[in-house]
Amino acid sequence: NRMKRARARHKPCELKELEVSVSDLGLGYESDETILFRYCSGTCDTSLRNYDLSLKNMRSKKKIKKEKMRARPCCRPLLYDDDISFLDVYNHYYTIKELSAKTCGCV
Amino acid sequence: MIFTNVLSVCLLLDEVLHSWAGLSSQTASSSQGWRTPVDCVRANELCIAEPNCISRYRTLRQCLVGRDRNTMLTNKECQAALEVLQESPLYDCRCKRGMKKELLCLQIYWSIHLGLTEGEEFYEASPYEPLTTRLSDIFRLASIFSGMEPTSSKSNQCLNAAKACNLNDNCKKLRSGYISLCNKGPTNSEPCNRRKCHKALRQFFDRVSHEYTYRLLFCSCKDQACAERRRQTIVPACSYEDKEKPNCLDLRSMCRTDQLCRARLADYHTNCQVSFLSVTTCPLDNYRACLSSYSGLIGFDISPNYVDSSTSSITVSPWCTCKGSGNMEEECERFLRDFTENSCLRNAIQAFGNGTDVTIIPKTSLPLATISAKTEKSSVSTDDVNDGSSVYDNITTCASVQENGSKLNKSKDQNQNLCYLETQLSTDIMPDLRNHVDEKSFSIRHCSSRLLPVILLFPLKLAL
Repeated sequence: NRMKRARARHKPCELKELEVSVSDLGLGYESDETILFRYCSGTCDTSLRNYDLSLKNMRSKKKIKKEKMRARPCCRPLLYDDDISFLDVYNHYYTIKELSAKTCGCV
Repeated sequence: MIFTNVLSVCLLLDEVLHSWAGLSSQTASSSQGWRTPVDCVRANELCIAEPNCISRYRTLRQCLVGRDRNTMLTNKECQAALEVLQESPLYDCRCKRGMKKELLCLQIYWSIHLGLTEGEEFYEASPYEPLTTRLSDIFRLASIFSGMEPTSSKSNQCLNAAKACNLNDNCKKLRSGYISLCNKGPTNSEPCNRRKCHKALRQFFDRVSHEYTYRLLFCSCKDQACAERRRQTIVPACSYEDKEKPNCLDLRSMCRTDQLCRARLADYHTNCQVSFLSVTTCPLDNYRACLSSYSGLIGFDISPNYVDSSTSSITVSPWCTCKGSGNMEEECERFLRDFTENSCLRNAIQAFGNGTDVTIIPKTSLPLATISAKTEKSSVSTDDVNDGSSVYDNITTCASVQENGSKLNKSKDQNQNLCYLETQLSTDIMPDLRNHVDEKSFSIRHCSSRLLPVILLFPLKLAL
């Protein structure tokens, strides 16, 4: 079981989907409409670039000190899905842009 | 000899029944020549390939410009052109809704038919191919693709329909497409572009599978929030309402100047015209055809919509009034009533919402217990149910029966049984009427299959 959990945590970066209500998004809209929310999840261990390794080394050698930076690639949307429209409980229509991921990648 | 006699009787009967049932001209004409109509774009191509046809077609079009039928027919050349074209596939070609080159197809259709009708007719024949599939086919699709949940009393069907659409990429995309173009926004700061909104609505209803669009448009409601959501489906603030309500006949004239709008209106009149010869009051008892032509009107100036968010009564109307009709008031009211007081359309919408196809008309609805008791005894033999192909076998969801029978044991099999019982009942009540109405039921194939044993017996008797 622990193996299973460990393997799940180390899944490579990929697109996943979830059925949620618009209210669940927490964007301030009140609507019971269910939408399909697609997101990116997974690890990016295999896509470490020379950039990441070098940056890590610079930091450990204290050549870079106070700045905020990230020495690991990140699983993020490369493209976003089409706009999504819905009717809220007050019978107003809204359209949200760039809500859901379309393709994912390690960037 | 006998065979030919019997056959001719069959043919005669067939013809009599056709005229009796008051079938629309399109079905009559397609049965005359026993040929299926080709689409007009194709028919035009076939005509171009034939020198005789294309020259006559050009002549006829010249003849029809600015002349009515009678003055045109006084010209011998025009008359000859018409006679030749009546034999060509161009004469009874049809178009498909949402087909490629739909406008071109309709242009070809109207180029012949507009001049040949007797003046301004109240109803025009539909330029579209008749729909032969039934509502039940949509129910089946819906249950396969989206796990259409049976209507429980709590759930809001219109909300479920929105969910089903949101979970389908194509439906979601085109729905968002028209909403974002039609939506004025809560502040009313930017006015909507009605023309673009209408175009996007047309795309939605033409390109998205009916199982999604019908569920959004014809969901059945038990509370006002649901009915308001249903009314809001087409974003009426932009696509429907206007500052002023025009006169309905003006609106109709305007629609008839546009070839696409004219075609859709003619299609609506063909498929949703109240007919007292059928059980459902719809032509040929075809609910699907009526709903399809109704949704085909959305995205034009004549777009109909629900007039309020009432749950008890369904009233739809285009955005128009009969005020200021002058001496045309009666015709205007007649035009408007085809929307507001149309029992065929109302029955079709209710049937879709309930998940039933051909149902019993409300007048004859009996308590469920007596229904099942009655139909158990009178088992309908399969021969009597007219060729059994389309209507009766396909009913997969029978939500209304589930609701009515909520006190009964809700096992799936039983529901299925009840569904069949219900449909059998509708054939039981008026078996005669049904046979007259369903054109397929009295086709020559059917006729000969019944009489064939008799025909074969005759020589046997003679030999003995």
